[in-house]
Amino acid sequence: MMRTTLAALALVAAMPLAALAHGPSRQKVVETVEINAPADKVWAVIGNFQDMGWLAPVEKTEGTGGNDAGAKRTLTLKGGAKIDEALTTYKADVKSYSYEITTVDVKVLPVSNYSATLRVTGEGDKSTVEWKGAFYRGYVNNDPPPELSDEAAVKAVTGVYRAGLDGLKAKIEGGK
Amino acid sequence: MALGIAVAGVSCAASCAIADAPRFAYVTNQGSETVSVVDLETFKVTATIPVPGKPAGVAVSPVQDRVYVTCPDTHDVAVIDTKVNAVVVRWPAGKGPLGIAVQPVTGRVFVADWYGTFVRVLDPSGGNVLSEIAVGQSPSGIAISSDSTRALTADRDSDTVSMFGATSGGPKSAVAVGGHPFGMTLSGDGRRAYTANVTSDDVSVIDVAAQAVVATIAVGRRPYAVALSQTRAFVTDQYGGTVSVIDLASLKKTNTIEACDHPEGINYDASRDVVYVACWFDNKLIRIDAETLKITGSVAAGDGPRAFGDFIK
Repeated sequence: MMRTTLAALALVAAMPLAALAHGPSRQKVVETVEINAPADKVWAVIGNFQDMGWLAPVEKTEGTGGNDAGAKRTLTLKGGAKIDEALTTYKADVKSYSYEITTVDVKVLPVSNYSATLRVTGEGDKSTVEWKGAFYRGYVNNDPPPELSDEAAVKAVTGVYRAGLDGLKAKIEGGK
Repeated sequence: MALGIAVAGVSCAASCAIADAPRFAYVTNQGSETVSVVDLETFKVTATIPVPGKPAGVAVSPVQDRVYVTCPDTHDVAVIDTKVNAVVVRWPAGKGPLGIAVQPVTGRVFVADWYGTFVRVLDPSGGNVLSEIAVGQSPSGIAISSDSTRALTADRDSDTVSMFGATSGGPKSAVAVGGHPFGMTLSGDGRRAYTANVTSDDVSVIDVAAQAVVATIAVGRRPYAVALSQTRAFVTDQYGGTVSVIDLASLKKTNTIEACDHPEGINYDASRDVVYVACWFDNKLIRIDAETLKITGSVAAGDGPRAFGDFIK
């Protein structure tokens, strides 16, 4: 674990010239979960951009701008890492919002230029939550190290989405 | 003979326009590593060409039956023969080939190196490098004037547009634009150039002769590329999921079209007065009426269509 962290640090330090560019191809992840609850109830849990508390690793959400496009939030994860995000679009009528990550350490999430959309659809007592993300890998140049590759980025985001959606389902269906 | 053509041109404006119309769109699907060939009359996919290497940039050749596709993963340009709809040869193209354009008269292929600071000019007869022209950092979109004299690059990481003689490579100049210009589009008369500025969420309008920005127009979040009709500019806003419409006379944004998730490559088809937009997340190509601004067609592409460049022919 220690070795991985140090290796990642060394790579970041040695990052070559085109530090502002990104990897050659954008990746996408789409995950969904079906929840035995009305869409309004699910939206009430996840529809506030200023409260990401339903996602287990998030300890604290602090931000400004409410649910208006351009609003900001900083997620503090358990263990202290922070992720800065901004709200791109908010559509309460279709229970959907899109956001982007403005700052994240690739050691926390190995991605760059990340954008995502959360959306709730449903009928009656059942709903579906879709979480989809678009991002480049954490390493901007050719020949990335394994931990900053396209595959690593997809795996990390898929893991967050899967755990988050499954946790959301358990939380809502468990009545907590 | 010449007279006959002229007379025909006068007497059948509508049908002659269709006769000259682009017939197909060539959509690079980066995820599925294919190019979808879309018949623009029926708006259906008529062929899917395997193109390994995460194809992204595209440029149709106005002088040959060819479409050139950049493949950043395999660091080369795939040459598609449109008579057989297959890749017939691949040419090495540095470390980060992305933006690509064809010089209309000579058919020469200009390839920007995303990981470098230059444009390579390739000989269409065999793909050998004729010259390397130094530009800004991470050159992305390339535009070449229809008279073939001038070339421009959007230099993403230096926030500039480089301009140079398309044949000579010089004299060179750079104009400061917005944050991280990506798409690069030149008007038909070559007088004005437009960049989509990814991080400043705006479009820079350049007076080419004066080498100066004459307007900066706010658009949606994360603009990617610009297409031009006679009267309007259409801008894909990746994160916004919209197409921003700009009136070219007033240089003001007039409309926002709800398009799709992550709209990217965009081209204007003058003969049909429509724009085509590649929807990266939704895996489709959509058609928008350039007058009514309504979506009038949609066709499934492969995974992750980007279509960065001139993709209709």
